[in-house]
Amino acid sequence: MVQAVIFIVLAAILIGSALGVISARNPVHSALFLVLAFVTSAGLWILLEAEFLALVLVLVYVGAVMVLFLFVVMMLDIDTTTMRQGFVRYAPLGVVVAAVVVVEIGYVVWTRKLGVTFGTPVTHAAKYSNTRALGDVIYTTYAYPFELAAVILLVGIVAAIALTLRRRPGTRSQNPAKQVRVSAKHGRIRLVKMPSGRSRGGEAP
Amino acid sequence: MNPAMPTIFLIIVLAPLAAAVIAGIFMRFIPRHFSHWVTILGVAVSFVLSVYVLWQMLYNSMGNFNVTVYNWGVVGNVQFQVGFLVDRLTALMITVVSFVSLMVHIYTIGYMADDPGYKRFFSYIALFTFAMLMLVMANNFLQLFFGWEAVGLVSYLLIGFWYTRPTAIYAGLKAFLVNRVGDFGFLLGIALVLTYSGSVNYAAVFAYAPQLAGQHMQLFPGLAWSVPTVICILLFVGAMGKSAQVPLHVWLPDSMEGPTPISALIHAATMVTAGIFMVARMSPLFELSDTALSVVMIVGAITAFFMGLVGIVQNDIKRVIAYSTLSQLGYMAVALGASAYAAGIFHLMTHAFFKALLFLAAGSVIIAMHHEQDMRRMGGLRKYMPITYITFLIGSLALIAFPGFAGFFSKDTIIAAVHDSQRAGASFAYWCVLLGVFVTALYTFRMFFMTFHGKERFVVEPGGKHDHGHEDHASEEHLAPGHLAHPPKESPWVVTVPLILLAIPSLFIGWLTIQPVLYGGFFGSSIYVAPNHHVMQRLTDEFHGAANMVRESVTSPALYLALAGVLVAWFFYLYAPQLPALLAQKLNAFYQLLIHKFYFDEIYAFFIAGGTRGLGNALWKGGDGVVIDGVLVNGSARAVGWLSGVLRRGQSGYLYHYAFAMIVGLCLLLGWLLLR
Amino acid sequence: MTFTLPAFTPAIPEMFVLGMGCFILLVDVFLSDRHRVVTHWLSLATIAATAWLTVTVAENAGLLTFSDMFINDSMGNVFKLFTYLTVALTFLYARDYFNDRNLFKGEFYVLGLFGMLGMMVMISAHNFITIYLGLELLSLSLYAMVALDRDSPAASEAAMKYFVLGAIASGILLYGMSLLYGATGTLDITRLGVHIAEAPDINIGVMFALGFIIVGLCFKLGAVPFHMWLPDVYEGANTPVTLYVGSAPKIAAFALFMRLLVEGLGGLRAEWRTMLIVLSILSMAIGSIVAIVQTNLKRLLAYSTISHVGYILMGILVGTTAGYQAAMFYVITYVIMAAAAFGIIILLARKGFESDRLEDFKGLNDRSPWFAAMMLIVMFGMAGVPPFVGFFGKLYVLRAVIDAGMIWLAVVGVIFAIISAFYYLKVVKLMYFDRAPEGMKPVEASLDMRWVLSGNSLAILLLGVLPGPLMALCARVITF
Repeated sequence: MVQAVIFIVLAAILIGSALGVISARNPVHSALFLVLAFVTSAGLWILLEAEFLALVLVLVYVGAVMVLFLFVVMMLDIDTTTMRQGFVRYAPLGVVVAAVVVVEIGYVVWTRKLGVTFGTPVTHAAKYSNTRALGDVIYTTYAYPFELAAVILLVGIVAAIALTLRRRPGTRSQNPAKQVRVSAKHGRIRLVKMPSGRSRGGEAP
Repeated sequence: MNPAMPTIFLIIVLAPLAAAVIAGIFMRFIPRHFSHWVTILGVAVSFVLSVYVLWQMLYNSMGNFNVTVYNWGVVGNVQFQVGFLVDRLTALMITVVSFVSLMVHIYTIGYMADDPGYKRFFSYIALFTFAMLMLVMANNFLQLFFGWEAVGLVSYLLIGFWYTRPTAIYAGLKAFLVNRVGDFGFLLGIALVLTYSGSVNYAAVFAYAPQLAGQHMQLFPGLAWSVPTVICILLFVGAMGKSAQVPLHVWLPDSMEGPTPISALIHAATMVTAGIFMVARMSPLFELSDTALSVVMIVGAITAFFMGLVGIVQNDIKRVIAYSTLSQLGYMAVALGASAYAAGIFHLMTHAFFKALLFLAAGSVIIAMHHEQDMRRMGGLRKYMPITYITFLIGSLALIAFPGFAGFFSKDTIIAAVHDSQRAGASFAYWCVLLGVFVTALYTFRMFFMTFHGKERFVVEPGGKHDHGHEDHASEEHLAPGHLAHPPKESPWVVTVPLILLAIPSLFIGWLTIQPVLYGGFFGSSIYVAPNHHVMQRLTDEFHGAANMVRESVTSPALYLALAGVLVAWFFYLYAPQLPALLAQKLNAFYQLLIHKFYFDEIYAFFIAGGTRGLGNALWKGGDGVVIDGVLVNGSARAVGWLSGVLRRGQSGYLYHYAFAMIVGLCLLLGWLLLR
Repeated sequence: MTFTLPAFTPAIPEMFVLGMGCFILLVDVFLSDRHRVVTHWLSLATIAATAWLTVTVAENAGLLTFSDMFINDSMGNVFKLFTYLTVALTFLYARDYFNDRNLFKGEFYVLGLFGMLGMMVMISAHNFITIYLGLELLSLSLYAMVALDRDSPAASEAAMKYFVLGAIASGILLYGMSLLYGATGTLDITRLGVHIAEAPDINIGVMFALGFIIVGLCFKLGAVPFHMWLPDVYEGANTPVTLYVGSAPKIAAFALFMRLLVEGLGGLRAEWRTMLIVLSILSMAIGSIVAIVQTNLKRLLAYSTISHVGYILMGILVGTTAGYQAAMFYVITYVIMAAAAFGIIILLARKGFESDRLEDFKGLNDRSPWFAAMMLIVMFGMAGVPPFVGFFGKLYVLRAVIDAGMIWLAVVGVIFAIISAFYYLKVVKLMYFDRAPEGMKPVEASLDMRWVLSGNSLAILLLGVLPGPLMALCARVITF
């Protein structure tokens, strides 16, 4: 009973904040709504006794991804008025489509429950550890997908570096190795022979 | 049986193809001499293996092969395959084809030495050899048709080999179009065979043939035709196109626009005999229909006699030989019509040798005369080119069927076979072929005397800048016709060696092979003759060896007709050279008829070409221009273009449009899935 | 707890590619630009060795390993071999192009190899998780490759669109998979098939999931209306990248269709057939019609891809063994033709001149008769003119459709084939009957590229003359 109440509250907040993400005028508000959505869904996962996933969600998405996201949003100067125009123009169509999707999903879930059995979630003993259960399988049964996920991360790193690491022409940067290697003889002092400006005085070199 | 045989067959076919591909595709990268070495090697391999196959057939009593090497496609129940049927008929054909082809390859080195299209030429003739071998080795109609069209294509390419000459282009086009008419019949014949027997494989079709005999079909309502007759006549229409029988013969004389080696290889020895070969191969079908055989015989007889007549008035040395080829093909067709298939094929073989010889010798003369082909500007060449002279003489004697020479045995057998035949039209055919002997001798020796004997009708203009040999034709073009820069001389060894090698079979092949090929049951099961058509059987009873045949010829009219022809030629062209012109004046109507080749070309040009163009014009302007182009084609194209312009606007370039399209698509798909 | 080591042998090619990808990544760091070609040949050697390993491993085909998440079967191995072939072709064609533009970087090769690994994983996948991970591995590599030319706004825009739309499609696919898991309780393809076969009636949840999965797959293949990314990405990306995007991934996407729809959801054939009919007709229609007004050849080829996808779907939707075989033949031959088409664009391009507009092909016959002939072969092949292989692809598909009794669908296919012939022939017309603009230089390219490209184009002719062996191969490996 208590769980049901918590579920309803969390679910309501989740839906509300999700709506907020797309309807907020200010992108910073949208990002914050998204943080709220993540946190509430983490709460829902704890209700399902998946505490490891819930914590990881908070740590990774709220702690890392969203903070980064907020940085970017705040640093960029986003013109909200033009975005608003687009929003108003396309909103009716978007609402219609969204309504269709909602109707379809609702139709599936409620109207024709043919064969879909909604079982109650499995409950475990008090000493059950979701972390341990995951750990048991992730390096054994799921070793192959785990390695694949690692490769995807590697590709992500390669792609990120390939796309961003570059020397822009005209950027001023230090070359420490070169700075260390200079000596008085070679390069630090340069003697320039100037012709005396008597004959053609006043002319710029 | 030898399990390696299918591989050998494949090599026989593919060696010239590989050579042609190498010489053709890598034309730019290989040196000149490499292109002739590689093609000669390819054809030589084919020749050696063909001889081996023939040898195995003759002396190791190897049986027939019917192998399928590749399954190309299946449509319904019909299988289209690539396969080889190799029996004695095929073995003989591949040996003849590869031998003549080899000779022509060697000869070409000399003949085409100065030509810029040297490598292209070698590639073409090797490709031709491949196609011809595919044709004769086929074990099904589809492959036969492939080879049939492929040789036609190469023939077209080679007639138009000097594609800067308008006459060559015209001749090529003519050959192509006339052959289309023949091929149309051929294709219809094949289609009928497929419709009735349900297969294109020879073995299956021949096995079905007896059931075909009684069937009838209605071409026009109320008129029942015997199916075998219709099939055979349609197939023979194809043969008429390829083997240049009246009235589809008009392309062959014009095809002499191609280089001479081609005239020898394609338009004398091999390709034009494909029709003869095909009819012999289809003997189980043709034997079912007396009507069709009569048609074959009468068409052949007309060709044999009347085309020979045209040959008498020609002045171009190659055209004379071309008309002689037409005439000899007519003889072969007559033999087929008389159910003496073996005699037809035998004549095909001897003719291949001596006609190739004649063409190549004529080519040698043409080289010596600096590409002058008009016999009125020749004469007295005997002393300049002895080897060509002697080999030409041998070829001529073989052609007029002088006793003992190759042509004698085959042609006399044909005449005897027609004489014995009881078929409708046989007596007409008999007179045609008999009088044809006189005509043959007349035009052959007319050509011989005009070229090699008599006064020299050309002028040698030595001096000037003529020390540059053959390479530079440009300086010769300013000379008037009949004027030569330097005196004619004997051709190089690459030209004379093939002449000598071809002269040998022209002399002896008849002696050596008549007994086994004609009367020894050489062809075995590859040729089928119905029991009541046993012309050859009767001849076999009368045959007592080659020497006897020569001896008996003294009592036959054919010999005296031939001698009379030679005599008349001598009288008119050596003894009293002013007479022919006089005679032409007196018999002007007949002369005009001959000089215009019985007005075939004019009739075709006016009625068929003109009529078709008129009809085409009318349909083009009315039907095509207005209805099809205006409404159907351009209309639908405009509609599609308009639609295209509208639809492309969907591709707006905006990301959210794209995403939206995806979502809408998903929604519609799901909605439809759930609500249906 | 006990843990048994899974059998590694069936996955040796995958492990080899991964190892070599990392190795090349490291080697490349220490190479100066002058020696970058080492990366090029090393990558090609890797592909060759992988092909050899695949053939070697193929002996124990039909093997499941890694807790049944990986399958090594003969169908997968054939798909993999053709994937290697097209990736190798991409690398070969790409070298000169990147060299000319100072874009010759090791990342292209590394990402290409990882993308290939992704395709291999997809092809060998036997579980929804591996399907999804393979797909993401491939997609991520593709996004990065498209964006690789950072100075080109078109490339960045294309990458952005591809990324966002691809993410949506991935989400849709993932949603479908999770629904399927919820409805059936399994992620394993075989067990899914069994579950659906044994189910008393069709579960509405499964149907719903099916819709999502088809949308996800069709996005990867580029079927209408999920095709929008295709023209923009094809046009915006560098041509070698376009070649990569447009060739090998189609094979992998087709493999996914086979794994998911046929092996897994084969029991719902009647349901997905109707959906695919709609998508197939739409693809053929949009692909054939919109291509007509294109002026950019890469964009034109994008629409041509869309219409070819329609034919591939047509082969799948028949739902018979013959249909799958025909579709497999079609996809393989299409990929070969696409590789040749983009290869020729790359060949003609040089620094500052992309040669991707239709008018750049005007009078090609005067500049290079040989490659004009090669382009002719490719265009005729795509249009389905006999004796080129495209004809047989269409023939087999249409025959399968007719054999299944859907003659009207075959008629629709033929009509759109005729419409699409228009723009292929337009290219031929430009090459042979129009005069080249002033100042066009003759074609120059390195010798190995000329040879490989010629071989690639002539293969279209050769396979058309002798379609038997390839069809026999398709018939041997597809036995459902």
